[in-house]
Amino acid sequence: MKRFSLLLLLTMSLSFGLAAEHANALTVYTAGPGSLGKKLALGFEKKTGIKVDLFQATTGKVMARLEAEADNPHADVLISASWDTARDLEKRGWLLPYESPNAAHVPAMFKTPSYVAQGISALCIVWNTRTGLPEPRDWRDLAAPAYRNQVTMPDPALSGATLDLLLGLQARLGKQADALFDHLHRNGMVVLGPNAQALNPVLQGAKSAVFGAVDYVAYGAAVSGESIKVIFPSSGTVVAPRPMMILKTSRAQNQARAFVDYVLSPQGQKIVADAWLMPARDDIASDRPLLKDLKLLPQEGAATTVMHAEVLQGFAKLFGLR
Amino acid sequence: MKTSKATLHSRSLAAVALFLALGLLVALPIGFIVLQAIFPDFNIASFAHPFASFSTTLKHADTLPLLANTLRFGAVVALASVLIGVPLGALRGLFRVPLARVWDLLFLAPFLIPPYLAALGWMLLLQPHGYLEQIVGVNLGHFLFSFQGVVAAMTLNVFPIVYFSVSRALAAVGLRLTDVARIFGAGPWRSVMRVTLPLILPAIAASALLTFTMAIEEFGIPAALGHRAGVELLVTAIEQRFSDWPIDLSGASVLSLLLAVLALTAFFLQHRLLMNRNFETHSGKPVATTPRELGVWRWPVLLAFGLIAATATLAPLFAIAATAFSRTLSGGLTIGNLTLSHFSALWVDGEGAGALTTSLSLATATALITGALGLLSAWYIVKTRIRGRTLLDALTLMPHALPGVVVGVGLILTWNQSFWPLTPYNTWAILLLAYSCLLLPYPVRYASAALRQISDNLDAAARVHGASASQVMRRIILPLTAPALISSMLIVFAIASRELVNSLLLAPSGVQTVSIYIWQQFEQGSIGDGMAMGIVTVLTSGSMLAISAHLTRRFNHAL
Repeated sequence: MKRFSLLLLLTMSLSFGLAAEHANALTVYTAGPGSLGKKLALGFEKKTGIKVDLFQATTGKVMARLEAEADNPHADVLISASWDTARDLEKRGWLLPYESPNAAHVPAMFKTPSYVAQGISALCIVWNTRTGLPEPRDWRDLAAPAYRNQVTMPDPALSGATLDLLLGLQARLGKQADALFDHLHRNGMVVLGPNAQALNPVLQGAKSAVFGAVDYVAYGAAVSGESIKVIFPSSGTVVAPRPMMILKTSRAQNQARAFVDYVLSPQGQKIVADAWLMPARDDIASDRPLLKDLKLLPQEGAATTVMHAEVLQGFAKLFGLR
Repeated sequence: MKTSKATLHSRSLAAVALFLALGLLVALPIGFIVLQAIFPDFNIASFAHPFASFSTTLKHADTLPLLANTLRFGAVVALASVLIGVPLGALRGLFRVPLARVWDLLFLAPFLIPPYLAALGWMLLLQPHGYLEQIVGVNLGHFLFSFQGVVAAMTLNVFPIVYFSVSRALAAVGLRLTDVARIFGAGPWRSVMRVTLPLILPAIAASALLTFTMAIEEFGIPAALGHRAGVELLVTAIEQRFSDWPIDLSGASVLSLLLAVLALTAFFLQHRLLMNRNFETHSGKPVATTPRELGVWRWPVLLAFGLIAATATLAPLFAIAATAFSRTLSGGLTIGNLTLSHFSALWVDGEGAGALTTSLSLATATALITGALGLLSAWYIVKTRIRGRTLLDALTLMPHALPGVVVGVGLILTWNQSFWPLTPYNTWAILLLAYSCLLLPYPVRYASAALRQISDNLDAAARVHGASASQVMRRIILPLTAPALISSMLIVFAIASRELVNSLLLAPSGVQTVSIYIWQQFEQGSIGDGMAMGIVTVLTSGSMLAISAHLTRRFNHAL
């Protein structure tokens, strides 16, 4: 009996002991795509020998975990898919200022003293070319009768880039944006989880188009042979830089800086470009349309004053989400 | 005298260790949920505003509809399961159904196909332009993405509980008493309604309650289908409040308590029903309960079994396999679209293989821990008279009724506190704790059943011949309970290797399990890769369950 209980205690304590965190490891929380985070982590490990513990989920889930761990923080580096979340964390004073030497090649609009873009995605319409419906040219084409019950959209509460689109449309179109979403809602658009979840029904043909998908997911699917087309709306779109930041509570700040440097190095940016994102640096080649090729929605100059919480709530209410 | 004192000492030492372990696994997380629900600022170590979040959450416009939806959902699923499970179970229990073993095997599917995987399969099969439309030209998208659709997906997953319970109960009772009624002049309808049905009513009611509990606890199906169907349930709402930004810890805890109370009530009722089930059908006289022949009815019966089995098991499996072997989703079901690339993708950058290794090692560890704890607990419950036996019994059975999402929430609330000097949070150990807590009831129940069949005389005889307690354990108890224990551990392994909601909530950075991999591929990656992993999972847990079934049969023959 004694030996049995000893064995039991031993197993339990052993599992706790082994479970202690890697002393020298760097913890990176990143929004999807998963393969990008994994490749960057592997590249960094190979170069520096520093082990990376990766937590990858949607922007919404990454931020939720960060908030839940506020008293007991674990993350060193955070990569979100929404510029707005970084602005929010900076306001709360959670970020460690750091300007990487490699950020010299990043355009000024994609960096601040405490966060810098990892890569940039653009929001687009993804259209299944086999549907037989007229090719959409602008956002509002998806509110037309031809697209009744044919449109999906990623959930802005989960997808950071879609959140940026929502905020961008609100800030730049104001009342018109409200009307647009109202029309889309009445036209039967459904809001479905993060990006791939909104894209899947369109791939199989259950739906015909995604409103406000991130372009890199769609490019990836198109390259693997799916019959879809990435369309940038004629009235202009929004780009969503993916902010990368170091948290003040990090216990591995030197390693965290080294990671940021690595992601912004030509080598790291090549990995970013391979995931079909626009590289943050302007001196890295890429096979996809870059910032200068895209028509953006008019920038009104003034910073976004709309609060994301309110916008999200209004959106969720309209589409009956929460 | 000295030896017996030492024995007593080591016995109580083991009992203390056992209580400590169970307290850690089961009682602590529940306690922290209660604390967080009562004290909204408990997570920042403040006891201010007790019960404040109860009134805010209960007054919140969503709460009542969520509760009503959950109750309605559970009730409809239970009813539908009875409607399918009772007739099939009755046929299987009373008559010689052709291919009976094959149907039993096919109806074991819910343990074989993880529910979230089945839901994704249904989606790919039934949505517009899905596989069904590609084959026969119609789609059932409207049906699938509705309340009825989610109910149907869940029912097909849980109705086998009713089927097996009814068929076993009837096989034991047989038609003997019904025949007696017939001899005394009752008509066939009357004898069934007045004799046979009352005999198996407790079994039907208990299994219906169990399906109710399972339906309101299951996370994967409502998470995959519910949103598009506009069906919001407590399970998904808890997960959302907990893991979507901005988070609401106290709201999630209050909803967790609500769900736990619902599930525990249903479970308690079911337990009571089975305890009071005291119809003496075994008088000790040997009775031959030979199943009847079906005669001409065998063909319609065969058709019914085939139809249900094909719908419940083969259809989602087909959709999963079709997606796993298709290069592109838009390419559809064509020969040219066939590929093995999704399977090789699992191994390319080591991500899929890593997830598989993690899941398999966690499942092995869970099986070992729950096996050890389960045997020890069962031994104390069945073979000793120590104080606190009832508490032990309750602690080991409770996780059976606890929703997975509630256990996950409880573990985070417990271990994500800054005052612990050492915490399993953010390491893989927290997953081990979650799985062990949820699956502990299986080994306890299997081991208790086996222990009840071992006569106390064996134990006494060994003691008379001078064996110590640990010798008795090793040389007598262990060998005799081993087959039952091992088969329960294999079930634990099969379930732990693919558990979803706790893995999503608790997995630390750097750790990915099979279920997380599949879910992430569905949400943010390639669904083909996810389904390829699904096939691998179904094969692994399928072979584990097959071995377990084989062992159980041998064990039953041996006794």
